[in-house]
Amino acid sequence: MTQQERETLIADFVLGTLDGAALIEAERLMLTDAAFARDVEQWRVRLADFDRTAEVMTPPESLWSTIERDIARPVASSTSPGLFAGLWNSLPAWRAIGLAAAATAVALTVGLGFAMREAQRTPQMIAILVDGDKAGAIVHVFNDGRATLLPLADMPIPADRSLQVWTLPSRERGPVSVGLMEQARTLALSLKDVPAPGANQLFEITIEPKGGSPTGRPTGPILFKGLTAPTI
Amino acid sequence: MVETDLLDSQLAAALNRCATGDRTALRVIYDAEAGRMIGVAMRILKRRDLAEEAAHDAFIRIWRGARGFDASRGTARSWIFAIVRNRALTILRAEGRFESDDGEERLEPDFLTAVDRLPENSALRRCLEALDIKHRSAVVYSYVFGLSHGELAGKMSVPLGTAKSWTRRGLLSLQECMG
Repeated sequence: MTQQERETLIADFVLGTLDGAALIEAERLMLTDAAFARDVEQWRVRLADFDRTAEVMTPPESLWSTIERDIARPVASSTSPGLFAGLWNSLPAWRAIGLAAAATAVALTVGLGFAMREAQRTPQMIAILVDGDKAGAIVHVFNDGRATLLPLADMPIPADRSLQVWTLPSRERGPVSVGLMEQARTLALSLKDVPAPGANQLFEITIEPKGGSPTGRPTGPILFKGLTAPTI
Repeated sequence: MVETDLLDSQLAAALNRCATGDRTALRVIYDAEAGRMIGVAMRILKRRDLAEEAAHDAFIRIWRGARGFDASRGTARSWIFAIVRNRALTILRAEGRFESDDGEERLEPDFLTAVDRLPENSALRRCLEALDIKHRSAVVYSYVFGLSHGELAGKMSVPLGTAKSWTRRGLLSLQECMG
């Protein structure tokens, strides 16, 4: 892409006039190219005064209660899918995150040597859970069906919250809880209720009410997420 | 509803609290911005029910995606409004398919208001006023009213390529002027 093509793509993305392949490309760059994302944000700031010229329209009483209901609702069955559901269903987004995770995995290989040796065996599958370009945890899945989560970053949460680990064995089944912890720590994941993870299977950590999501589906913000990749 | 005008740093702090699962922080953003968010969506969608739906969807996305906000890249307000604009545009493009069935009259975009209401000291206003009227209109129609290049070409009675080129030149001049 030439510099001019890139600037055009950024401008059209900010205006909202992209569609099809160009829109997918811009969304991919938002996730993988920090300079692209920064330029987009700069455009949004430049044009932000326009938003202040819109009429203020009093929301109906019901709007807040609907929002409050829907943020507590299991995402996979929501009729208004949030970003989270959008990502579940967005192959390009996952491809992009997969690329970012792969890059992170290379960068982490040296640092992970110790953890790998400690595990004393080679995992069959790994997933690096990331937030943008920050790695938060790594999931190892071993041949005997056992799996562990190793945190790589601190995950501060309020005292009345827990961290919950999820995987998505299939879109039909939706996310399944595989672990719960009060703070970031090495955790044995419980995969007995799900098929052995394949490649490109999603794992993620969300913040949930203490003791885990009351609905059995993720309800809180996502901290880190990533896709499995087979080890060579 | 009273619009409490929050500083951007207060909005950013509320987003950070949303990222830890604090629902009262989402309410803070709602009280400060929901009315304006519906207004922004209304200019694009021209239908109150759809504008409220866009604002609803935006709050769900803000809640779930709050961790993705990075204060070093932009402002909290521009981040929040980018989400509601995107929701409104997505609904617009989806609803467009059924538009012929919905006998509701679409209001003409209130073009002048969008520029006239910009604060006198706004760099955006100063730089827009320096633009050729064609380029200025192209930017305002696209950003404020959510017109696609094709719709813009129809509205301005020019070929698609011309509409695209006016938009780009308008943005390029704005970028040069605003830095």
